[in-house]
Amino acid sequence: MVDVAVVGAGQTKYGNHPSGLKAMWAEAASKAFSSIDGDFKPEMIDEAFIGTIAFGGAQLGNTAALLTEHSGMDGIAVRRVENACASSGFALRDAWMAIKSGQADVVVAGGIEKMNDLTPERKRYWLGVSGDTEWERLAGLTFPGTYALMARRYFHEHDSTHDDLVHVSVKNHHHGSMNPQAHIQKEVSFEKAAGGFMVADPLTLYDCCPTSDGASCVVLAADHVARRMTDTPVWIRGSGAASDRLALHDRPSITQLKATQTASTKAYAMAGLDATQIDLAEVHDCFTIAEVIATEDLGFAPRGAGGQFAREQQGSVNQGNTTINASGGLKSKGHPLGATGTGQVVEVFKQLRHEVGTSRQVRDAETALTHNVGGSGATCAVHVFGRER
Amino acid sequence: MMPAMVWMGYLIDALDDFTVIQSPFTMEGIRVFGADSDATTLAVAAVLHRLQRETINSISVPEGVDGLSIALATGVAMHTEEMEDEAEWDVLMSEEATLVLARHGADVHLTAMDVEIEVDAGFYHAMERAWDQELSVTHVSQGAYVSRAQYEEAGTSRLSLTGQLAEDGPVWPPRFNHLVDSTSVPERTLQRTGTIQTWTTLSAAGAPSEFSLRAPLLGGISTVLLRLDDGPNGVFLTVDDEDPVFAMDSRMELVFRRLYAQEGFIRYGLKARSVSG
Repeated sequence: MVDVAVVGAGQTKYGNHPSGLKAMWAEAASKAFSSIDGDFKPEMIDEAFIGTIAFGGAQLGNTAALLTEHSGMDGIAVRRVENACASSGFALRDAWMAIKSGQADVVVAGGIEKMNDLTPERKRYWLGVSGDTEWERLAGLTFPGTYALMARRYFHEHDSTHDDLVHVSVKNHHHGSMNPQAHIQKEVSFEKAAGGFMVADPLTLYDCCPTSDGASCVVLAADHVARRMTDTPVWIRGSGAASDRLALHDRPSITQLKATQTASTKAYAMAGLDATQIDLAEVHDCFTIAEVIATEDLGFAPRGAGGQFAREQQGSVNQGNTTINASGGLKSKGHPLGATGTGQVVEVFKQLRHEVGTSRQVRDAETALTHNVGGSGATCAVHVFGRER
Repeated sequence: MMPAMVWMGYLIDALDDFTVIQSPFTMEGIRVFGADSDATTLAVAAVLHRLQRETINSISVPEGVDGLSIALATGVAMHTEEMEDEAEWDVLMSEEATLVLARHGADVHLTAMDVEIEVDAGFYHAMERAWDQELSVTHVSQGAYVSRAQYEEAGTSRLSLTGQLAEDGPVWPPRFNHLVDSTSVPERTLQRTGTIQTWTTLSAAGAPSEFSLRAPLLGGISTVLLRLDDGPNGVFLTVDDEDPVFAMDSRMELVFRRLYAQEGFIRYGLKARSVSG
């Protein structure tokens, strides 16, 4: 079966973006296209999959057609992919499957979200639309609340305290301070992160990712055309995806994400790798507790030892076996919901081509993983990448 | 005054032919509803108390009381004008936050109860204004949208904890897989008690938008994840007018209260309050 490579990747800076949807998407696509150093024209693209929640409701219908119309992809088959915050992780998987199926050779996967042009009221409405509305939302929960429930239970079940979450925040802000694409490019001290404004007890402001505008775009190609497009493709070696009960209370455990475990098991098996062989991972740290749990679910730390992993700063760039969130993660790089999954791929693309150019470059990186979660874990897409096929 | 018995956060006096139930709160000498209570929530508590010792076949309710929600929460049929017989029981309202559930035609007299928790007048009036604003028909969706039809479909499971009986125990909230394989699933009403598995208090700034008018007045809103005594887990807001004991495995009971209002009608639900023992 055909192998699939990432041959181009680009994104806007995340944050309060001055542009609207069309200009943001065009910028991300332009950067992705210009990162392709070999034979490429937009006319070569067969299909496009664009992940977005369409936050705010401004362009809920036919979002993808509107965006590709403004980025040189007129006339191709496009669709919007929606799986909450995992929308573009699944767009990537759909694009990968399109090539794997033999129906397409060059496919675009991307994502976009415009979040900061809304009134606070409208923003808070949209921030809570991906949980189980009828049961969780009527119990007063948005995602800070949901992850706060998980955090407190995690502390109860394991040898962990809020200080472990503070270590995650400090690390990711350190990484993000070196990333010119990050929403929040500044260091945060342990003391400041520990004493942040309480959002949802026990989670403070420094445990929560920002709401960001942003777009990201990656170009995938089948092996028989990839080599013409670049000398340094990044190969997708494994893809796994899964779902779980939408509502937290419907799951047997709320301190692990079954969807992550299932998706990563599939992705590792397809790649022929295990967690110890991954050099860097971009994990879905929408809240700091999510990174602690993800390090366990993805196999970087034993069950119950995610807090210790953070405490010992094993995920800091070039400190442990696997660097976690070299980009700054959602916490610092930002979280433009639909753009996040393929935005993780943009980071991995640069890291595995050794093009980062600052001290957050993971030394001799050969393998990488992306982990994109929808909601509190109802959907998850995991991909494993390598410099080699 | 007689010593009050507390039932689901309210004061109650149950006699042979009628039950008096009232709010424990007063303001400047007048008995007033708590922050998430009204005549409907009092009526539900009175009916549930009565059902502990006898069957009730039908009830009539006065205007301003949500008969459908009472029926969903208690399983007792609402009396309608089309029915030939008189209602077996009547809900009677007094001017203050007091209500009587009386056998039809019974001779009723109000009892004075000895609990009076004074509430701050500023807080009380601010909450009233917030509810009025929320209840406006022009207050449309900037919150979780649960339509009237959706509210009613899930009514018995939301308001009376009706679950499904599966081979390995009760399932709640109910699932719809049985519609796929065309099997029937027996129902079972779960106990309204459970233990805390985890909890959080959202700041007013972080509360969902449907609570945005009242959360600042309450200093945020709290949610618990309970393991119900019958097995399933559920998430519930805590009652607005009490301070729960938040601790792992501490016990709570579920009581009928207002959740929020939108587009002119109130969504009721079960909220958690601490119980001892």
